[in-house]
Amino acid sequence: MAESGIRRAVRQMYHASLNILVLLATARSAARRLLPAACVLLLVTGCATEKHQREAAKALREFYTSDFDEAARQYKPLAEKTDEDFVLNNVRLGTSYLMYYDLDEAEAAFLRAYEVINSVGVNNGGRSVGAVLVDEKLKIWKGEPFERAMANYYLGLIYYMRNDYNNARAAFENALFKLADYDPDDDKGSRKKRLESNFVLAHLMLAKCFQRLGRDDLARESFKHAKKLRPDLQNLLEYSWNESSNVLLVVEVGFGPRKMTTYNGAIAGFGPTPEEAGPVPLPAVRVDGRLLNLHDLNRPTIDLLAMAQDRKWQDIDTIRTIKSTIGKGMIAGGAIMVAKGAGEDGSRQRTDLMVGAGLLLAGALLEASSQADVRQWELLPRTVFLLPLRLPPGKHDITIEFPDDENLYQTWQGLEVPSNGEATYIFRIQRFNEGPHLWPAKGMRKHLPTTVPGTKFE
Amino acid sequence: MNAESGTMNSNGGSMRVAFPFIALRPAFIILVFLSGCAPSSAVSSGTNTALDSIDLTAMTDDMAMKIVADSDVQAEIASNGKLITVVQPVENRMRGEILPKGPADAFTARLRILLSKHAPDRFTWVMNRDAFYSLQSRERDTDLGPAPDRVQPEYAITAIFSSLTNEDVKRRSSYYLCEYQLTDINTGRLLWSDKYEVKKSAVKGFLD
Repeated sequence: MAESGIRRAVRQMYHASLNILVLLATARSAARRLLPAACVLLLVTGCATEKHQREAAKALREFYTSDFDEAARQYKPLAEKTDEDFVLNNVRLGTSYLMYYDLDEAEAAFLRAYEVINSVGVNNGGRSVGAVLVDEKLKIWKGEPFERAMANYYLGLIYYMRNDYNNARAAFENALFKLADYDPDDDKGSRKKRLESNFVLAHLMLAKCFQRLGRDDLARESFKHAKKLRPDLQNLLEYSWNESSNVLLVVEVGFGPRKMTTYNGAIAGFGPTPEEAGPVPLPAVRVDGRLLNLHDLNRPTIDLLAMAQDRKWQDIDTIRTIKSTIGKGMIAGGAIMVAKGAGEDGSRQRTDLMVGAGLLLAGALLEASSQADVRQWELLPRTVFLLPLRLPPGKHDITIEFPDDENLYQTWQGLEVPSNGEATYIFRIQRFNEGPHLWPAKGMRKHLPTTVPGTKFE
Repeated sequence: MNAESGTMNSNGGSMRVAFPFIALRPAFIILVFLSGCAPSSAVSSGTNTALDSIDLTAMTDDMAMKIVADSDVQAEIASNGKLITVVQPVENRMRGEILPKGPADAFTARLRILLSKHAPDRFTWVMNRDAFYSLQSRERDTDLGPAPDRVQPEYAITAIFSSLTNEDVKRRSSYYLCEYQLTDINTGRLLWSDKYEVKKSAVKGFLD
């Protein structure tokens, strides 16, 4: 009996080993047959993706060295491709053109992104399945909520700079939609109580739009609401101060948040944290060489590093987590089936082993392919200062400097300050962008008539 | 080998084990295909709540019919002859909906085109002032200042688009009120006014 039992166990082990060998041999054979086709496809598609990534990285270098025109030139062909990076490349292109002061091109790029961001179902037609089963990067990038809000904010800023306050208002309202949050304690589904966004940058610009449109009631309400959200910006959010302002300086400093991954490709979160990056330096303004008293206007309206740390505004890693969880479950299920099959014999053993091995393989593939989507809008600044000022009408040389960091400054010469209304200028403070720059900016000149009497460009 | 014992029986066993891979082969190729060849472009599949070309056609057709059929407009034409009319771009009062310059022009320009085609004996069209001086500054070498010979419009077609828009985690919805007016510029008298209303909503999906 004992000998028979041992013999039976040995036979079962032998059969199980053979089954696994057959499975591996078949897998190898299948892989061998599929490999050339798969390699060709992956090489072709992989090379194309890599090429686009290289081109985007090159354009990014140009942006960081403040050659915005060249960055835009390099982003343009990428932004024309209606692939999964269409929105991302268009917001990158729009940012580059905006910093170059080519507002027409910047508007066009941000509008293209805006239309897709505002659309639903853009990932229908196979992309959803591809994103879940193959690679999350197949989904059309629409950005995290704060990136969507910033795209709308930039679009609003472009319209504000052109004094198109109705469209600016609409864009800032849309920015706030993108960051709307809902009371987690209220479980009435889509009718959950709406919690107002504390994206004060959009609230302030919205209030200024209402002010310029003559809607004093709505302007006062927006200023009041923004003050409630950020009492530390009391002076900046003063109705009368903004009403009398005839120049608005938009100062962008630092670098926005980056997606950080762990060793196995999972998203660890956004970094660096505000603590790691240190305090935001505060700007000072020099007009025609004279330092202005800013009356505490120079407070940051946002800190995107802090904003990115807030999990309620993050929508990252959902697919990866689902795939990873399912993959782990399949591996566990496969292991159980293999263990069960090892103790059986006959056709049942073969079935269990096959199912187990299949689950193990599928689980491992799913787990291995659950890489995080780390695409991001890396041109965002860390913070934005809004400085509404009242200056004597005429042309002025304006320098933004940072007393805490003498390497950070930028000068524009001949900025025009109107007697009525408000002119808006954007200062992107970064390396190689110190100036002095001459107004009108280079990006504006190609849209100006070529023979304007009395106009001299640098 | 013994087939019953579940090991290998030359071709038979091998084929049975290989079956899942054969069955998976098309799926695998589709997956690889999916990974490389985009099944849809970023602009081909999405829908949104913005006013579109269907609204443009429907509302301007509707407005053109109503304006020529209006008894007050007909009486004005009978007493003053052809109405010298200027057309303004749409004023955007929509919540959270951008209306760029091109579409803002199109929503009134198409109305002008329809009226000039179907009622050429009732309206004389004049360029609006900004467009006129912009054209002059682009095309003439010298700035002559205000043009005394410019035909002065007496009526204006204007449009104001408003909306109630809301967006939450599940959907975005917009109710639009598009109001068109024909105004006597000299007196401010509102000669004709009508509206086009539409409600749109877009339900967000898994990856929206």
